[in-house]
Amino acid sequence: MSAAVASLALVLLAQASSRPRYGGAAHIVLRDRVNTLDPLGEEDHPATRDRMNALIFENLTSMDAQGRLRSGLASSWRSDASKRVWQFHLRLAEFHDGSVLTAADAVASLQRSMGEWKITAIDRQTISIDATASAPHLPELLALPRFAIAKKTPENTLFGTGPYKFSEWQAGERLVLTANDDYWGGRPFPDSIEFQMGLPLRDQLLERQLGPYAAAELTVDQLRSIEQTNQNIMISRQSDLFAIVFLQGDDAAGRGRKPVDPRIREALANTVNRGAITSVILQKRAVAASGILPQWLTGYESLFPGNNSMDRAKELRSETAALVIVPPIALAYDASDPISKLLAERIALDAREAGIVVQPFGEAHVGNKQARSSLNAGAVLLRLPLAATEPSVALAARMDEMGLLPEHSALNLKADQPEQLFDLEGKALQTFRVIPIAHSSQAVWLSPATHNWQQSPTGSWQLDQFWVEGAR
Amino acid sequence: MWPFPDCQSAGFTVQLKPKHPQSSLMPKRLSALARCFLCLLVLSICAVAQENSAAAASATEFAQQIVARAGNPQSMSVSFQNISVLLPEMQESVQNAIFTAFRNANVRLVKPEQSTVQTEIIFSEDWQGYLWIADIQSGANKQMVMKKVPRPERAASAKAPVLTIRKNTVWQQDAQILDFYLDNQQLVLLEPTEIAIYAGDGGQWRPRYTLAIVHPESWPRDLRGRLIVNGSQLTAFLPGTRCTGSSSPPTLECRASDDPWQIDSSGLAGFFSPRRNFFTGILAGSSAGASVIPFFSGATWQSGDLKQWLFTGTDGRARFYQYDLSAPIAIFSGWGGNMAAIRSPCGSGTQLLMSSPNDSVRPDAVQAVEVLGREALPVSTPIELAGPVQAMWTAGKNSEFVNGVMLSPETGRYEAFTLNVSCGR
Repeated sequence: MSAAVASLALVLLAQASSRPRYGGAAHIVLRDRVNTLDPLGEEDHPATRDRMNALIFENLTSMDAQGRLRSGLASSWRSDASKRVWQFHLRLAEFHDGSVLTAADAVASLQRSMGEWKITAIDRQTISIDATASAPHLPELLALPRFAIAKKTPENTLFGTGPYKFSEWQAGERLVLTANDDYWGGRPFPDSIEFQMGLPLRDQLLERQLGPYAAAELTVDQLRSIEQTNQNIMISRQSDLFAIVFLQGDDAAGRGRKPVDPRIREALANTVNRGAITSVILQKRAVAASGILPQWLTGYESLFPGNNSMDRAKELRSETAALVIVPPIALAYDASDPISKLLAERIALDAREAGIVVQPFGEAHVGNKQARSSLNAGAVLLRLPLAATEPSVALAARMDEMGLLPEHSALNLKADQPEQLFDLEGKALQTFRVIPIAHSSQAVWLSPATHNWQQSPTGSWQLDQFWVEGAR
Repeated sequence: MWPFPDCQSAGFTVQLKPKHPQSSLMPKRLSALARCFLCLLVLSICAVAQENSAAAASATEFAQQIVARAGNPQSMSVSFQNISVLLPEMQESVQNAIFTAFRNANVRLVKPEQSTVQTEIIFSEDWQGYLWIADIQSGANKQMVMKKVPRPERAASAKAPVLTIRKNTVWQQDAQILDFYLDNQQLVLLEPTEIAIYAGDGGQWRPRYTLAIVHPESWPRDLRGRLIVNGSQLTAFLPGTRCTGSSSPPTLECRASDDPWQIDSSGLAGFFSPRRNFFTGILAGSSAGASVIPFFSGATWQSGDLKQWLFTGTDGRARFYQYDLSAPIAIFSGWGGNMAAIRSPCGSGTQLLMSSPNDSVRPDAVQAVEVLGREALPVSTPIELAGPVQAMWTAGKNSEFVNGVMLSPETGRYEAFTLNVSCGR
């Protein structure tokens, strides 16, 4: 009998029950510091801002944890045959200031995000978007954080419609959100969520105790110590791209800083020891990258050449040096990210073997697209999140972020078939303005009291069913 | 003999019950094992055959695209590379289909040095399916053909059917199902915004009516509901709302209400929190006047002369009561929140079907448990489900079923199903 009881205990694990419970305060630790919550504001760590904003603001559409398109503030949508003009019907929802969401609000918000579109209100609950060109994946595109629907008051206060409302905000330090009791999708389970930004977690990890937190973002170098203590860690697919992006395109010659010679760019691409980077610096939580999008997302990344021949690098460098003076490359990396620092130093070390001088330096605003353009650097080392699981949208977002597409022209990507995407990505890579280094995972530690935490394949968090044990 | 499953039928449903069980010459134990084995064998053969056939059709289409893109050459060399999880036998089947399609297009397959067109076919994959790539080299001209091919769904679990819990899928749909009622004539679904009524028609359920649920407030998250059907009379309990109406003529009226919900047919009823996902603990019906801690699920049953109750509390602990509700005589930890009692001819006659304590975004399992004395004993092995259980309610005239609802993470669809318990192991 005791064996039977024991087997029951095994089957019905010693965890808490499956039905979500209301109440409690969740404390979440974020790696980076965020200075503005404006979805369109200039921000050094937009991916972290978007994590928090996902609880405050909503989009017309959303993607679920399995990468499927779901309705958001739009309850339904349809397009014309050319997929150029789309109509979205809004559900009944309220902004956090108590006002009802109308088509006029959605139009005003989307116009701030995408001025090139012709966006109009058809009636109080329906909007029309003329994308000016065929946009087969417009619903997926509208799920990107930059298309969040926000109501901006004349005093520049932003209101969202999401499951949580602002409560306290200290830029770069903490954000406290409280549950929106009137949320159209049902009040969220926790009473409040507090984000604490920029905590190094060094002391907590040394003590092997993350104590009061519900969840904490981890860097890959922190994983080993946590894993040894058999704690609950969620590791995403290899979604983040580390890449070197040269700030000046070849067409920028004569204007401002001189672009790095394309042969030197190609040579640099060949010097990078991706194997060492992925296995040592990124602790085998990454794979070498040859494309902008990872193999697991597209299935075709392996067709791009790996560019890992030191001989070829030396040859290109010699050829170039015979014709022009090869200046050093100033490589800026995110000063707040120790992994980026290690990566940049390793890149410089590998480049030296081919006679290329790379001078890495830490910069606070590398992640800020607008600020980046005025950096006194030839190239930047970027860590780019994967914005979507729809490859064409993900590619558009990454190319836009890297400055490989004109501002706000994500919809220039009409590519729908894998061949078209492969061609487009191949063209972007063949100029060597972007040198993919590695696709890396994201990791989050979860407390035993944290439940229903979901991570999408892109690494983004899906917290709609999230709850914590504590007060009811 | 047993009817062999039709490979074309959806879901490879197999009838395990022999047509003439008494006529079998095999000993009972051997017969069951043999049935299992045969069933698994048939399932495997059918699954592989179907997968191969679908892959072959895609391969033919792919080959035709390659020929067209290559400019209808007279000859071509072809090589293959597999960087996906495509199984060798399926790869061979696909390759054969490609060869056949090339021959049908009058393309001779030759060695690389004998042709100006070389094609390398790569079987790759992304996170959702296969990606077949043809890299066509024709002189200096290079072309690509890529074809997305869905990954076949995993075959049904090949576990031996020794389970005493049997699951039957009733209905699947995208819209959320809160509860349902099923008899020979009708299927009634309770959804957040309507009650949908279907009529049986030649083995299929055909939609008859939908009755809108009108309510002024937004529903709580983890919305729950209870549907009671008595003849043509419909009663739906939702948090803070009660709807009454009939299926014939179709009417429904909803009003704000804190009336207690009927939990099972034995008369157990309880008040439900109007803005949450649990019963407040104040009981009504046959246990009126008593209160317990807030709970997600409750059950009451008779064991001889003894009345018993079990409630799965919102604190993650289940409390077992005998005789009266003054104090629990046993508390069990680590149980799931969903539970329903079921009557069967087995064991003590009443089992409790329990969901697992996994997070409610993960696939669930349901296990039958009996409470004897102060101990809870598992009386079945768990039946694994494809998704988390959303609802479980006792159903049937004699409580011989449990109606369940689950959400499949793979398809994103809700599935209504029934569970019953049989004695054979």
